[in-house]
Amino acid sequence: MAAAGSRVNELASQLYDACADQFDADHSFYQQDLLSLGIIPGDDLPLLLQCTQSLVNQKLFRLLETQNKRLVWRLVAREDAEKLQTLKGDESLVFGVIHSSGRSGVWIRNIQSRTNLHKSILDRCLKTLEGKNYIKTVHNVKHPTKKMYMLAGLAPSEDVTGGAWFTDGVLDANFINSVAGYIEYTVSRKSWYEVPADRGRGAKRIKTETGKTDVMTEPAEKTFLPYPASYAGYPTVDAITRAVNESGITPVQLGSESVVQLLQMLCFDRKLVALNNGTQYKSLKNPEIVKGYQTRKPVLEGEEPQSSVNLGKNGMTESPCGPCPSFRLCTPGGAISPETCEYFDPWFEKVLGF
Amino acid sequence: MTSQYAAELCTLLIEEQFGELFARIFSTLQRYERLTLPRLKFHARLADRQLRAALTAMIQHHLIYHFTSLEDNNTYYEANPQAAYYLVRSGKILNLVEERLGEYAARVMEMVLFLGHASVNHLETLPELRSLNPESANGIINGNGEHTENEEEFGADQEATNGTEEISEQPAQNGHDDAEKMIALLHSTLRALASHGYLSRVREAHFQSPSDNILEAQRAVSSRPDIKALKGKRQQEAIASDTDTLLTERTHADLSMGLMVDGMPRGVKRKFRNGASDSTNAHLTNGVNGNGAHAENDYAEEDDEFDNVPMESGLVVRVNYQKLDVALRNDRFVSLAQEEAPPATTEVYECLLRRFEYVTQRCREGVEIPREGEEGEQWTIPIDAEKLLEDIDPSLDLSTAFAPVEATTFSLNQRGKRPLENGINGNHDNNDEDSGPSRAWEINQHLHLLAQPPFNLTSCVELYGVPKWRVGFRGLARKLRGLELERMIESRYGDVALRVIRVLHAKGKLDEKRLQEISFLPWKDLRQTLSSMQTGGFVDLQEVPKDAQRQPSKTIFLWYYDPDRVCGSILEDTYKAMSRTMQRIKVERERLKDFLEKTERSDVKGHEEEYLTEEELERLQRWKDKEALLLAEVARLDDMVAVFRDY
Repeated sequence: MAAAGSRVNELASQLYDACADQFDADHSFYQQDLLSLGIIPGDDLPLLLQCTQSLVNQKLFRLLETQNKRLVWRLVAREDAEKLQTLKGDESLVFGVIHSSGRSGVWIRNIQSRTNLHKSILDRCLKTLEGKNYIKTVHNVKHPTKKMYMLAGLAPSEDVTGGAWFTDGVLDANFINSVAGYIEYTVSRKSWYEVPADRGRGAKRIKTETGKTDVMTEPAEKTFLPYPASYAGYPTVDAITRAVNESGITPVQLGSESVVQLLQMLCFDRKLVALNNGTQYKSLKNPEIVKGYQTRKPVLEGEEPQSSVNLGKNGMTESPCGPCPSFRLCTPGGAISPETCEYFDPWFEKVLGF
Repeated sequence: MTSQYAAELCTLLIEEQFGELFARIFSTLQRYERLTLPRLKFHARLADRQLRAALTAMIQHHLIYHFTSLEDNNTYYEANPQAAYYLVRSGKILNLVEERLGEYAARVMEMVLFLGHASVNHLETLPELRSLNPESANGIINGNGEHTENEEEFGADQEATNGTEEISEQPAQNGHDDAEKMIALLHSTLRALASHGYLSRVREAHFQSPSDNILEAQRAVSSRPDIKALKGKRQQEAIASDTDTLLTERTHADLSMGLMVDGMPRGVKRKFRNGASDSTNAHLTNGVNGNGAHAENDYAEEDDEFDNVPMESGLVVRVNYQKLDVALRNDRFVSLAQEEAPPATTEVYECLLRRFEYVTQRCREGVEIPREGEEGEQWTIPIDAEKLLEDIDPSLDLSTAFAPVEATTFSLNQRGKRPLENGINGNHDNNDEDSGPSRAWEINQHLHLLAQPPFNLTSCVELYGVPKWRVGFRGLARKLRGLELERMIESRYGDVALRVIRVLHAKGKLDEKRLQEISFLPWKDLRQTLSSMQTGGFVDLQEVPKDAQRQPSKTIFLWYYDPDRVCGSILEDTYKAMSRTMQRIKVERERLKDFLEKTERSDVKGHEEEYLTEEELERLQRWKDKEALLLAEVARLDDMVAVFRDY
């Protein structure tokens, strides 16, 4: 019996190696596949059964059932099998579930429902697995409150992390801003024609004379003119993606979908405009201005006195009534009234300077 | 227009311009709606004589509608809040007229505004319109400078009319010739104003409220024997269509039709064309500001030759606010273009819009603004760029506003050789052979630039292979409205909120998760912004329960932004802010009452420097600044009202 056992083991390990050699890792093996490898002498079915059973015992094979009730085996990597062998029954059950979820991770409640384990047992299993460093918890951006598990060796997929813009499940605002700023500047450089220095003088004078100087630019050395409508050189999504990836400001390579997301955000900020159904992008401000407010931005982060510059003002934002917190309560003769209003006098002082 | 704050504002405006008596009658009518004379007397608690005199004057100013019912023989009086509100816009209107048609036209316009409506006969007799020199007419025009100082104008006007006797002697001395000439000038000015549509005819129906007019027309139509013969649905239809025709017949007031030449009103025409063909240097140099001060003299002379047919002397005219709104709206579009496009392009756009202005009667057809997204675009008639050629100042440099087309294959010495000055002079040196077609091409280029997003100020259609240009006014008006709202949101909630609003506007209703994905904002910021905007009434939250129990955990919460609703509430706020500002003027005046009474004493007025100390002069100046500031603020708020309500 012992001899038979060792023979089975030997055959089983040959079978495993052959499978690992000839098929890829997630291939499903039917009985025919295993027999066709020619390792089992004489297509001895009981012997094959013994071999596979021994492999399953060693956690090197996983037994699955297909939709039409046929048995299928799958390979398990040797390292994983070693891990699995050290685990107790419940733990390996839990490990299996987590393993099967791959890079997307699995919610703790789903583990529970799939293993039918009691909560306390499940918690203990997870704890030991985590202690052995086999699994890890991950943050899912879509369900920030759910506790998810994944194999320790895997990197979470884009769905879980939310794509390139998230770090540890949190939106990475600094990263986004720096990439957005870079994109805007790059697009802007391609959307405006820079007048060469020798002609610049004349063209600049024209601009100032007609009152179309931009308040934001400091004494500008450069003059920018818009391109005529037939201009086709506005950067495309691909070009922008390439530029961003080549710039070295991103630690990872960004896919064009991530860049499109960001471009859309910039469009909502009215910094860029999409042309031709969003294949090309144009910047509304010329590079000089873009540079101007990008370098100044950190200074006024706290105070933001100039935020209204972008769109200009109107009657309601200038008048003391516009931002008045008790505007709704204001009635002539009331506790808050135009007669007793305390906002008018400071306003006179500010506007008229006395 | 009959909300609490609008009513309050109208009353304040009337009080400011015409005094307390009018305001009292007006507010009584607004509070009780239609009233007969005895009821009005009872509610307003006024003496019979006072009331009658005031009513007459208010009807003259179109502040009150009246309607005599044939059934009970009562005359009903009703407030006209529109006319009352437009009092605030008179300064802007005068500014516009002065800019387009010159100072004298503005003066004529002012007299019409001041009188409510006036017959041509009456205007002829007015001493203010009998001299070219504004100073001799007691400085009526001082008010419409930088700010719209309505009540100052009014004050000056009153004075002007009071001083009638003194001035009327002057023209008599100047002799008969001058008077003749002035009357001719007045007629040609009136003609120009009428052909622009700024003045319109007054008809009897204009003294009745629109709803009375409709009812009366309906009654008249349905009592006709041929209509009575019909039955059921067909009768209904016949009544509806005949009522419309009768109404337009009764209220038709447009004077411009007979006065247009080639789709261009008189007065503006010929300026550039003459200038170009005669190539008189004066015209070329004046070019840009030719619309201003010089224009009036130009057409005064030219018009004498072309149309010395005087206006019908019995014609009664009044200001056509609807048309002026169109002109003012176009000004707003031009300023929108200014933000986006180079100055030369803006000027091209202005010319294009001017063309459209002549054929646009009113800002929109319906009384109500249709809901966002439920309105199709209404395009103007497409115009050919060639047509604009003669409108655009020939000295305007169209070529340097763009990057050269061959910018990609650009070589420095080729462009570098051509200095800028050539661009200006070159055009009329060799204007005939090469500048003609290439200029049209350049205009097309400029219009193409305007057609680009985000504003899409123009739109191009190809007809028979020729590009033609049109403007979608409704869509642009909406963008203008959106811009005003966004400005408020930006100043109140910062640029984060702006992004959220734009996302919501573009995508419709969104739950928080999706909103966050698109707007790239951290949870904390997003929630804070949304909740503060909800408090401010800019965004709303809709609950969609998944089950009948409506548990919060099983409910989807959708954020949305409804510009129509927001716009309505902001409009009310704007009315309120306007009336608060007006009230503040009163308060400030009350504070300085004694001092101001002194400066207005008949001996001090006009001789301030002699009678007042230095300190007092300074104080007076401060008061004037303050008042000007407050009135300017009211005018700025009115700009918003115009965008929200009229455009």
